[in-house]
Amino acid sequence: MMALCLAGNAQDFDNDPTVQLQKNDAKFTVGARMMGDVAYYHSDFTPLKSGASLTDARIRTSFSYRDWYFYADFGFGGGKFSQKNIFAQWNKENWANGWNVVKAGYYNDPGSMARNTSLGSYHFISRPGSTMALGVGRELGVTYKFYNNMWFANQGISTDHTYNNQIAGFDGVAVSGRWLVRPLNTEDQTFHIGVNARFAHRGGGEVTNNVINKKLTIGQALETYVDGTEDLVTAELPWVNNVVNVGAELLYRNPKFFARGEFLYKHVTKKRDSYSLFEDAQNNIDCWGTYEAWLAANPLRNNNFYGGYVELGYMIFGSPYTYSNADGVLGGLKGKSLEIVARYNYTGLNDIVDGEYYSVGRDQYYPTGYMQDYPYASSSVGGGNVNAVTVGVNFSFNKYIQVMADYTYTHLDRDKLPYDRDFHAVQGRVQFTF
Amino acid sequence: MLKKAIGTGLALSVTMVTFTSCEHQEFTNEKEDAKRVEVQTISPDMAKVRDYVPLYAVIAHRGSTFWAPEETEAAWRWARNMGADYLESDLQASKDCVVLANHDDNLSRTTNVENVFSEYVPSSRKDFYRSFKNADGTQHFTEADIAEQYAADVASFRPYYAMSYYYHELLMLDAGSWFNETSLEQARPGFANQHQYVSALRDQIAYAEGRKLNRDANGERVLTYKIKDEYKDMSLKQIREAMPQAKYMAFVEYDWSNAYVADDKDNGNRPGIYPEFKESWVNPSNMVQLVYDELNACGWNIITKPEAENAPFYANGKVNIGNTNGKVILQTFTFDALRQYNEIFAGRVPMCYLLWEGKGATDLTYTTPTGYADIIKFALDNGCHIIGPAISGAPNNYPEMNEPWQAYMIRKSGMINHPYSFDSYAQMGKYMGIYNYGIETSYDDLMRITVDPTQYTVFTSPVSLPVYMDGFFTNRTEMSLRYMIDQGFRCNKLPNPFYADRVYDNSQAPADVPDAEAVLEYLGY
Repeated sequence: MMALCLAGNAQDFDNDPTVQLQKNDAKFTVGARMMGDVAYYHSDFTPLKSGASLTDARIRTSFSYRDWYFYADFGFGGGKFSQKNIFAQWNKENWANGWNVVKAGYYNDPGSMARNTSLGSYHFISRPGSTMALGVGRELGVTYKFYNNMWFANQGISTDHTYNNQIAGFDGVAVSGRWLVRPLNTEDQTFHIGVNARFAHRGGGEVTNNVINKKLTIGQALETYVDGTEDLVTAELPWVNNVVNVGAELLYRNPKFFARGEFLYKHVTKKRDSYSLFEDAQNNIDCWGTYEAWLAANPLRNNNFYGGYVELGYMIFGSPYTYSNADGVLGGLKGKSLEIVARYNYTGLNDIVDGEYYSVGRDQYYPTGYMQDYPYASSSVGGGNVNAVTVGVNFSFNKYIQVMADYTYTHLDRDKLPYDRDFHAVQGRVQFTF
Repeated sequence: MLKKAIGTGLALSVTMVTFTSCEHQEFTNEKEDAKRVEVQTISPDMAKVRDYVPLYAVIAHRGSTFWAPEETEAAWRWARNMGADYLESDLQASKDCVVLANHDDNLSRTTNVENVFSEYVPSSRKDFYRSFKNADGTQHFTEADIAEQYAADVASFRPYYAMSYYYHELLMLDAGSWFNETSLEQARPGFANQHQYVSALRDQIAYAEGRKLNRDANGERVLTYKIKDEYKDMSLKQIREAMPQAKYMAFVEYDWSNAYVADDKDNGNRPGIYPEFKESWVNPSNMVQLVYDELNACGWNIITKPEAENAPFYANGKVNIGNTNGKVILQTFTFDALRQYNEIFAGRVPMCYLLWEGKGATDLTYTTPTGYADIIKFALDNGCHIIGPAISGAPNNYPEMNEPWQAYMIRKSGMINHPYSFDSYAQMGKYMGIYNYGIETSYDDLMRITVDPTQYTVFTSPVSLPVYMDGFFTNRTEMSLRYMIDQGFRCNKLPNPFYADRVYDNSQAPADVPDAEAVLEYLGY
């Protein structure tokens, strides 16, 4: 029964909604979650908005019937309704002392350990910036998951857009998976190592002169929600064709200590209807002349981005750290507990061609290394490189309510923001979940 | 332990609330950022060249756009006699690489080109080629050669653009009559009767020197031409192949030595010139070198022919800038021209980098203090001494690039600030700080000066005000000169904003501002 409960948990939570109605084989549950954050920021140049924010407010419900489980939660944080998870799931114990789970609906992509750990169970106020910039969130899709004590394999297929509301074009499709092996996995200790991968064929984009431009925006906030702006670390990539995510992860936990980390890599391939663009450009006396000249002036280059993080936690007192076989993630604090945590995160959104000159006044890279009136287009991406260190302390009064405090130092290296180098954030959170 | 944790949590909450409820509100503040951002400063060597430029200069934009057809003999003679410090112009090149002083790349607005020439290569082009004669009077170029060249001309022809016409052909155009049709109140028969030509840079310099065009009995300018010596043994094809860019045919030599005569209406003012390099695609790739050479040929290149270091900007009530090392100020919006300027002139002739906000090829798109500082750095790195920001206000309604915080950053760099272009008293009052008179501003540390009264000022005791420019491009020279004299920025001894221990003396500047229309009458228009 415990195993079934674990299998049935929503990925955004590692506990069931608390209020339960049960009749025969059917069970309906309802619960809620609230996160209230307060933050004070200090920055070199661009100020962040210190203050308080209702970061998350949700109603969550589930219904289970024999091997079936249905889950939905709805957010209204920020005063706006937002679609969170909603899915149906079939669970069946298998021959290998494990479980087969088939799931369909709207929920997290299988990749990235951090993105598959409920924020309510996270040991920091925010997930690592690298997973927000380079990882993938919820998608509309179907997945098959197998897991037992040793193995975990979760893979599926999803769309690129949830509501098919792209401006124009095909919705896009992605296949992805996360695979773990747990050489050590007992009640007291777990060590898992794994990889994940995702291939997405980008769908949808803007159409100009009968040419579709599929864009991808990647970015992160400074590991905070009170001012969750991504303007400081962001890049918009044009002419996206395919997006490949590859990741690796490690996790170790015992009752008093955990360590985990991920490496993330994102490869973005580009494609465009160059000839049509060239053809459209041949409409005035200043046109490019030849297709070859146009191509030379408008190079298209694939982009690569890297990131990763390491997190450590030490339980001063309280319930031991737990691990979910079903989701391959660390559990949250349960019962009265006090822990201290630390994290280092790196996010690399700079993919700059050597020798290019960047003008802040123009917000433009110049391939020749100096400013020109009519330069060739640059393929450099200057989204920003981020190094961030966080230390925190978390206290849970019981399984339902906890308070958290983090200090985060962020160092930014972005050509566009030469004076925005160092950011400091002191944050607190009050959270309850039932 | 639980109590401690609760206590810690409460203390944290109280601390956070205290932090976040304090009165100091942080937000992006350009005023503060302008002071925080690091601004590159001008080097001592470049400051020396900067000081060639007179402070509070009145720059006659295109000679005049209000009173006379712009960038013509009439406009520049008028500006000179009015007492403007500089005659402003725009540099282009004709097909034969004569350096023009002409604004629009397309000649349709300011000439009758659409009536004189069709949208095709001038029908007289072949006759022009035939007009070159050998010593024995025979035709120099063969018909086959001419036919081939004509075909090449057709291939590179851009209708109505100055670059497509030989200077000899441009002289067929009337650059004055259009003004009478568009500026009815300022229309004058002389602008049409006295043929106003598309100007060459040499013409502009001649007007600044107190000369005028040499005209024949019919009132047409005298300007003969021949093949340059280095091309006299070549066919048109060989000349074309010898050119850096085939569409330009720089083989014609005009006889400038006989092109001008002393202007009998010259009143003795000797203004400088302030020509602008246009977009790189408008001009031949060696345009900056052409201008360098042209200044050389006119004796106006201070690198090769410097003036006396102590030559005054004003002497005996006359403008004397044309006889100083500040006689030429170059300007440009374009990155390419600026880079070439830095290679050829190497910062030794005053250079103004012009600012425009937008998304064009050379516009400033990131108009924050950070972006502004970046452009100042670019300008300084490329040998500039002056920043020329656009200003708002009717009738042009340009983007505002000279907010007080922007003027402050320019001042911080040690560069001169020459905003453009002025049409009204309201604009002059705004940027000369008159509206800030009597109040404390954020930029007083660098911008505020005290102006003593003179016999000409409208005030009788010293005034203290922040000044957001060091000179300016004006379409109303008469109004601007009057304003500067009335407000004590001309014909006075003033604090030098670049040197705390120096006085800037322009007390010898002309104190009388003639009536604009009377000057035109006097000049015969």
